[in-house]
Amino acid sequence: MPTEPPSPHSIEEFVQGYERAGELRGFRCAACGRRTVTWGLACSGCGGGPLQESPLAATGRIVAGTLVTVASEEFVNEVPYAYVLVELDGGGRVSGWISGIRSEEEVAPGTPVVFTPSYKAGVQFRRTEGDASAVPPR
Amino acid sequence: MRETWVVGAASSRYGKLSETAREAATKVALGAIRDAGLEPKQIGYTFVSNCFGLTEHQGHLGPLINNGLGIPEVPSATVESACSSSSAALHEAFVHVAGGFADAAVVVGAERLGHLDTLSATGHFAYGADQPFETRNGATFPGLYALLAGAYQAEFRTTPEMFGAIAIKNHANAAHNPLAHFQKEITLQQYLDSPIVASPLRLYDCCPFSDGASAVVVAAREAIRRPTREPLVIRASARAGAITDLQDRTDLLGLPSTRLAAEKAFRQAGIGPQQVDFAEVHDCFTIAEVLALEDLGLFPRGTAAREGLEGTTARDGALPVNPSGGLKAKGHPVSATGAGQVVEIFDQVNGRARGREVPRTDIALAHNVGATGGSCSVHLFGRR
Repeated sequence: MPTEPPSPHSIEEFVQGYERAGELRGFRCAACGRRTVTWGLACSGCGGGPLQESPLAATGRIVAGTLVTVASEEFVNEVPYAYVLVELDGGGRVSGWISGIRSEEEVAPGTPVVFTPSYKAGVQFRRTEGDASAVPPR
Repeated sequence: MRETWVVGAASSRYGKLSETAREAATKVALGAIRDAGLEPKQIGYTFVSNCFGLTEHQGHLGPLINNGLGIPEVPSATVESACSSSSAALHEAFVHVAGGFADAAVVVGAERLGHLDTLSATGHFAYGADQPFETRNGATFPGLYALLAGAYQAEFRTTPEMFGAIAIKNHANAAHNPLAHFQKEITLQQYLDSPIVASPLRLYDCCPFSDGASAVVVAAREAIRRPTREPLVIRASARAGAITDLQDRTDLLGLPSTRLAAEKAFRQAGIGPQQVDFAEVHDCFTIAEVLALEDLGLFPRGTAAREGLEGTTARDGALPVNPSGGLKAKGHPVSATGAGQVVEIFDQVNGRARGREVPRTDIALAHNVGATGGSCSVHLFGRR
């Protein structure tokens, strides 16, 4: 059943907040335990709640990825880039983009990634495979 | 519920239109009303879809259409459900007529995108996705369907030739459709050589941005003494929704809203998928046709791409799919697409689909998806 909004701020403030802080945040359903980044007043999985705002892990693995070569206005200067779905360590899936990708093999399912603060709006990841310097932002 | 028919249909050419959506919508609405042998004053309600009207600086299209038809007193409503808008409008018309709130209603969808460049049009299409949680993160429509295509490819070991066969088939059908956006056939080599838009989707996997307008008239059987055309009996009008964001779905091998709408539709009609003679399905991308055919229960999971390659869904195959050319080649004027599918079925049943006739037309299915399946319509049509 829908409950009070899970946080006092707007969606825009919520999204901008985690992008600026460099720390992903989302919601955990108190009824079923499902984690999501997608805003709502009830869990889209079980219909229950309440949804409790909680931090999400910065690291995870790609579930699905595509190399985008025709972009919308906001991303036209980034092509080619990858658009990916990421299963975060500890649960929850989030979509994001990765720059500097030249082939879809680079974003194959299972590829480890880390959330990285970006110079532009949106959730940006980078690949961590073979990158010893990759440390999740705190 | 009253037995409800589609009694008239009309469509503009799809492609680039010089006229506004308002003009095109009014013309096809009048065309469908006259096709039904009716006069505008016999219409009790007008349901309109025009998702991107605001790009033409025009909203509130319903009253303008009714004014243009000389029936300003008739109520109207705009129905928006992304790419499934005018099939949602058809559902509303069905509810009104079957429920006795109107004897006849016109359903009209119109879109004009030709005045936008590709960059702007790509952005507008993406408005149907979740802005803060998908589009903001880099999603485009081809990108979202590319994720589904990649998941399907990995699970069922499909080849580019299988998806190419769907594009080739739909272009071949559209070559016989004088209203289609692309009236030309393509070869496998052209398909394979076309550039990647969002891997694994190539340009020829994608539908075009089209302008166009389509309309149908829905009426109660008891209100039509002598139909001028062979009517379509609406045996089912079903809609369903699903979790919108791909990142929140556990299964990327289909669209849950299609499965749910199809279950409802077949239950309403009291028939099964094996009784469908032909179908117009939502092929905004070739992968979308594959997923539709499986989610609708027309083919077992994991087999539809292969069946396309073997010709099962060609016009002379066991189950013709998208004889109009589909969104892929007939075109995709977003808000007109759902109504346009029904125009094709009406034309097939009335012998007006010259050069692209399907052999059997007793039971037809129309399937229309909003975005990546946050909304979906399935209609089943039969004969008197």
